[in-house]
Amino acid sequence: MLLAMIQTLFLLALAPLFTGLIRKFKAFFQGRQGPSVLQPYRDLTKLFHKDSVISKDASWLFTATPYICMTAVITAALMIPFFTTSSINFIGDIIVVVYLFGMMRFFMALAGLDAGSAFGGMGSSREMTISAMVEPTILLSIFTMALISGTTRLGEISFNLATTGLDLVPPALFLALAAFFISTLAENARVPVDNPATHLELTMIHEAMILEHSGKQLALMEWSSMTKLLLYLVIMANTFLPWGIATEVTPMALIIGIFAVILKITLFSLAIAIIESSMAKMRLFRLPNLLTVSFSLSLLAVMSFYIL
Amino acid sequence: MLNSLSLDAINTLAAIILLTDFMLVASSRMRSLTRIFAIQSLALGALAAVVAFETGAEHIYIVAVLSIVLKAVIIPRFINYATTKIQVKREVEPLVKIPGSLLICAAITLLAYFVTEPLMQQGTAITSNCLAISFASVLIGMFLMVSRRKAITEVIGLLVVENGVFLAAISTTYSMPMIVELGVFFDVLVGVIIMGLFAFRINRTFDSIDASILRGLKD
Amino acid sequence: MIITLLLLPVAVALVCLLLNRYTKLVETASVLGAGLLLLLGSVLVLHVFEEGIIDEGMWYLDQLGAFMLLIIVLIGFLAILYSVPYMRHEHESGEVSSNMLGLYYTFLFLFIFTMVLVVVSNNLGIVWIAVEGTTLVSAFLVGFYNKGTSLEAAWKYLIICSIGISLALLGTIFVYASSIDVLGENSDLHWTSLMAVAGQLDPAFLKIGFVLVLIGYGTKVGLAPMHTWLPDAHSQAPSPVSALLSGVLLNCAMYAVLRYHILMTHSSIGGAFSSGLLLLFGLLSLGIAAAFIITQKDYKRLLAYSSIEHMGIIAIGFGFGGFWGIFGALLHMFNHSMTKALLFFGAGNVLQKYKTKSIDGVRGLSRTMPVTSILLLMGALAITGSPPFSVFTSEIMVLTGGIDQGNILPALLYAGMIVIIFAAFMGHVVRMIFGDPPEGMEKGEVNKAGLIPMIALVVIILVMGIFIPDGLSDALRDIVALFGGQV
Repeated sequence: MLLAMIQTLFLLALAPLFTGLIRKFKAFFQGRQGPSVLQPYRDLTKLFHKDSVISKDASWLFTATPYICMTAVITAALMIPFFTTSSINFIGDIIVVVYLFGMMRFFMALAGLDAGSAFGGMGSSREMTISAMVEPTILLSIFTMALISGTTRLGEISFNLATTGLDLVPPALFLALAAFFISTLAENARVPVDNPATHLELTMIHEAMILEHSGKQLALMEWSSMTKLLLYLVIMANTFLPWGIATEVTPMALIIGIFAVILKITLFSLAIAIIESSMAKMRLFRLPNLLTVSFSLSLLAVMSFYIL
Repeated sequence: MLNSLSLDAINTLAAIILLTDFMLVASSRMRSLTRIFAIQSLALGALAAVVAFETGAEHIYIVAVLSIVLKAVIIPRFINYATTKIQVKREVEPLVKIPGSLLICAAITLLAYFVTEPLMQQGTAITSNCLAISFASVLIGMFLMVSRRKAITEVIGLLVVENGVFLAAISTTYSMPMIVELGVFFDVLVGVIIMGLFAFRINRTFDSIDASILRGLKD
Repeated sequence: MIITLLLLPVAVALVCLLLNRYTKLVETASVLGAGLLLLLGSVLVLHVFEEGIIDEGMWYLDQLGAFMLLIIVLIGFLAILYSVPYMRHEHESGEVSSNMLGLYYTFLFLFIFTMVLVVVSNNLGIVWIAVEGTTLVSAFLVGFYNKGTSLEAAWKYLIICSIGISLALLGTIFVYASSIDVLGENSDLHWTSLMAVAGQLDPAFLKIGFVLVLIGYGTKVGLAPMHTWLPDAHSQAPSPVSALLSGVLLNCAMYAVLRYHILMTHSSIGGAFSSGLLLLFGLLSLGIAAAFIITQKDYKRLLAYSSIEHMGIIAIGFGFGGFWGIFGALLHMFNHSMTKALLFFGAGNVLQKYKTKSIDGVRGLSRTMPVTSILLLMGALAITGSPPFSVFTSEIMVLTGGIDQGNILPALLYAGMIVIIFAAFMGHVVRMIFGDPPEGMEKGEVNKAGLIPMIALVVIILVMGIFIPDGLSDALRDIVALFGGQV
């Protein structure tokens, strides 16, 4: 339990760092220096000192949403194995994690509508369209991992997979990983699904939903989004490719575990940066094509587990 | 009896073949169709080579090499050549939209699995579980032929069906008598060339190879 | 001997290709070649009928194969006889260039070669290659005229038949798979080897294999619902080619199916499964053909649907089983070929005179082309099953077979649909033959030399309607025995 709380604090603290890291990688590929890796921390601090301006038409939902999102993210972080496999475990906790993220998305969409501005509603509707296609994919990918390791507890999935050899890995794992990666891009507002740096009406999705927030609420929303991205990366690193994670609580294992997971997340960040720099954002009506491809991949992953 | 590494390799290659089936359905550009088909044929040839290695049957090596040379190199080149000659538009024009097509293909794969399940009990051949994938390839190939407008995509669909049949041959019977295999390859090559010829003639007459224009003959 | 039989059409095709520019030489070579083929084929056929099976390992000619061979060389010869004046007329009216004329005969002989290959091969894989070969070569013949409609027909033909053939290949593989347990690595896909161990073949693979083969080769036979390419292909091809397609190719494809059917009857599954499927497809084909014949507006398509009808009847005959069903179906294969060839030749004459394929556009044939109209009328009566023509005999035999085996309802359906088709078909033909010819149509036959093969065919179908020569009848009994039916 203590270990879980420590992991959570780590995750919260590191989240802005990795967002900064992705931006730094992108800048490198675009041939410029880019802001420092610690810039997101400075942004968050700045926002915490500012006042909030809230629309007259907003209800309690609008002010509550940032806190709800933050809570959801912290709760999810408690259940995801970071550098050891002993987080809070109970049967079916992968479903809880997925739906905590779902709850966060739900409230963000409502908050977007709540402020009464046109941009917010537009962002919310687009977000729900995308999530309708992404959610089954995420569930199927994680179910594949559950099938492969024979349990639905995230910590145990990690443990089981980490202790089996590399040659017993079925091809279904890679299919599920590919599907989950595409879903990560979709859920966290990354190119090619959404541009996280834009504020143009035609291209905003995630940004549109949080457009009306300001001051501390905006800080909380930003922080929870960054943590969400980190959590997705951690899930990918520790559930699909968990080798290196600490399976027992010894100092040596812990150090290796921390090192391994940081390395894996850095690699994933690099991958995201490369994708963001080399692809253009897809037009909205082309998104179903991409998302259905990832859904088919996850479906294939489940099927190939049974067929092969 | 079986080396477990070979079994893994066969399973992975079969998964790649199924994956390429889906990628063919999901692609929206003509060029990528031939490229993906080449990858599929390559995987198929590699699978045949692994089977040959396992069973020690020399003539399957020849079949594997033939398959790679013919279907991964010659035929894709020929189709690309025909496509440029006819000056076909770059996009595949699907009659059924891509997301829908992908879901249908997923359903087809499940169907193939159920149909071949009684056969999989036999288990005498190396990988009777490739049978489900071969059936799925055949059905997906047919779906490709029906749901895409251009005449050239119909040819590619047919080739995918052939790949599925070939995979079925390898996985249930190791291989057929050499002369039959050679004849089949020859037939496929000639068939593709002839279809290319006809596509060219159709384009000359109708100025397009949109197969849905070919509706003049009706009752 | 069999190898000579195979090499002969290839040689003639080569000669025609080389002598492309000299039309007269090409025509002479073709007629001579076809005549030689008829001679050689007949010798082989008589040998098999009288002295027994020729088994040369890869080549195998039993009574069933010999029977098919007889149909191929006979119709082949008559079709080439008819082609010469027909294509000459096409050439003169500018439809076809000299180059194309030479190519026509080349492809025609290649086509005949592939069909002969189907019936003389012992190896089921080679049978598959040959059937695929027939599709590829005849596609050129179907799309011979460079018109939009011909190309469309050829493309549909290519694509649909290729799908069917791929399924047939899968079926062949499964049948092969059913044999490797028994024959081990030495299983060579020879029909004779498979027949020897038929009882021990794996039933699961064999069953699915047969279904795939039936659907696959059945596409080439023109069984519904895989028949959609047939009306287009057979109506757009030049008339002598249509005769070959309808009269010979469909039978060859049926032959391929039959080889597997015989295998099934001797296997542990027994004949009921495959016969049932054949009956089902046959009735479906008959029904669909009847529906489309009633509303038909194009006389060549009319003949094409009639082919679907008769292939359905043949399938029904084999589906009924028993002595009369099988004997009738076999005889029907022969009778249908002769009659359909006659009709297509006649249609060719009409097309060249009236220059339209529409039934409404043709009137008063009896006045403008008296000989053709008589021959056509006789052909129409024959194909719809009127006595004293041969088709009547075989259709009655099939009906007897059905009642004999207790399939009363299918037999009644069968009889009913034949009556419907009789009425509809004759209605169309009578409208074409009688009445006043269109304005300005001159009287006189277009293709006098082409009448000779037609008259020969009429003689055959009349004679066969009255009695069946002993030699043929005995051979057919031997074939029935192959199916395991009582003699």
